[in-house]
Amino acid sequence: MVLTMHLYRRLMQRSRVFWLILLASVPGLIFGIAGIDLAPDDLSEAFVGIMLSVGFTYAIAALILTVSTLRDERDAGTLPYLYMRPIPRWSVAVSSLLAGILAAGTIAVGGWVATVLAGLIHGADMAVIIPGAALLLAAAVGYAAIFVPVGYLFSRSVLVGLGYLILVELALSGLVSGLAQLSIWRIAASIYVDLVDTTGLPIDEALGAVAPGVGGGLVKLGVVLVLGLGVLTWALQKRDAL
Amino acid sequence: MNTVEVNEVSKWFGPKVAVSEVSIGFGPGVTGLLGPNGAGKTTLMRVIAGLQVPSQGSVSVLGRDPRVDPSIYRSMTLVPEDEAIYEHLTGRQFIELSARLAGIADPKGRAREVLEIVELTDAADRALGGYSKGMRQRAKVASALVPDPEVLLLDEPLNGADPVQRAQLIRLFKELGAAGRTVIVSSHVLREVERMADRVIAMVDGRLAAVGSVATIRAAMTDKPRQVFVDCSNPRVLASELIGTSNVLGVQVNDELLMIEAADAREVAMQLPRLAVAHDISISRVEPADESLESVFRYLVEGR
Repeated sequence: MVLTMHLYRRLMQRSRVFWLILLASVPGLIFGIAGIDLAPDDLSEAFVGIMLSVGFTYAIAALILTVSTLRDERDAGTLPYLYMRPIPRWSVAVSSLLAGILAAGTIAVGGWVATVLAGLIHGADMAVIIPGAALLLAAAVGYAAIFVPVGYLFSRSVLVGLGYLILVELALSGLVSGLAQLSIWRIAASIYVDLVDTTGLPIDEALGAVAPGVGGGLVKLGVVLVLGLGVLTWALQKRDAL
Repeated sequence: MNTVEVNEVSKWFGPKVAVSEVSIGFGPGVTGLLGPNGAGKTTLMRVIAGLQVPSQGSVSVLGRDPRVDPSIYRSMTLVPEDEAIYEHLTGRQFIELSARLAGIADPKGRAREVLEIVELTDAADRALGGYSKGMRQRAKVASALVPDPEVLLLDEPLNGADPVQRAQLIRLFKELGAAGRTVIVSSHVLREVERMADRVIAMVDGRLAAVGSVATIRAAMTDKPRQVFVDCSNPRVLASELIGTSNVLGVQVNDELLMIEAADAREVAMQLPRLAVAHDISISRVEPADESLESVFRYLVEGR
């Protein structure tokens, strides 16, 4: 827990957090502006849909933040202060992933608060508050599980992460149905759409081949988390720490 | 008895070989790891510390492999060469963090103790970002002392420290060595190592150049022929006079510059004024050509 909190505090640098929360708040900002011209009947539908369509900006915020979990320590040369401790490598990996999840979760909450405020201003249906939070928190877990190890393994980790987001999440997972299961955003969205009324929304486009369902989504996230933990533990044991 | 064993260790980064087939043991007491910049000292330290995986060979610390068994870090710590430190933390917070991560039962109490040892108590509640270079070094040393390690690796620990701080740290390292700890100190400054180490290991180009007592290394260095450049009005006459003396092994003349290779540079310094007066030669500059540590080490390795 000491290591988790240390890494979390280091990630939560004020200037960085401000800009990343702003990036995660893009759906809320768009809804805040677009909602002015919407008819009352369309507001709730737009509010439900906006997270699916524009919430992807959160993925970029999560990427920028979570790759830094161990990368900042490596780049700054402070990793020996954490690495040379009598802590099993798997435990270091768990602490790092937890710190990444907490940090990404904090950004998610910030972004979600902005979206909810925009919904409140326009009088949209607030039934999506919990599912929306679940969407972002599920994405926080998934992205941290991928990007914390990426940050440790690659010096150009943001580029590698962007490669994943653009190639796998945006392009290939929509084109190749099998690859949809590799998209964290689609897995998180599968939980969201199972919890809200999505009548009239382009669900197929948002989910691709991923079936809606809270249970299935959580299992897939669990698998991603275990894989991320395995890769990070392996990297901490087998790769140079400096 | 050796507490640290390095067996046939090589470490390369792509085509660059940083450490080449090094086998050496370290026991209780202070051992100086000496060598010019780029000799491979830091890489060897990192390999021993378990921060880098040897490309070949193995390392054992107190009978354990640091890459496999992190519990070794209850008994081994490192003061890294990098200046990096958590600038936003105070000295006390940094040491308490180290103590908590090391699993110390009373982190606050232990932090007080080690801050006292490195004489940083007065500055303990200031942010590390505001510390001088020497104070940061002491904070890093304090962090390394937290678990009361049996093996202490110090990578250029005196960098940036002022003379008083140097004396204080050297005294501390000698005390730790005398108390039976294995203290390995890397440095590129012979005088520093001389003041604290009982044994010296010299490295050049990733390889061991010499191992022995400071006196042995010193003697090996004294045996080395010295090169001296002389800038004068008539180098050819000076060269012809010098070549006949037993101390001078060779001379070279390039334009106005005379290069003398002598067994004893001090004797050359005594000969030159006498010859200059006798032959009415004006000397504008006398300079040893190869006094850098690197050239001395290279001589130890290659005999040239």
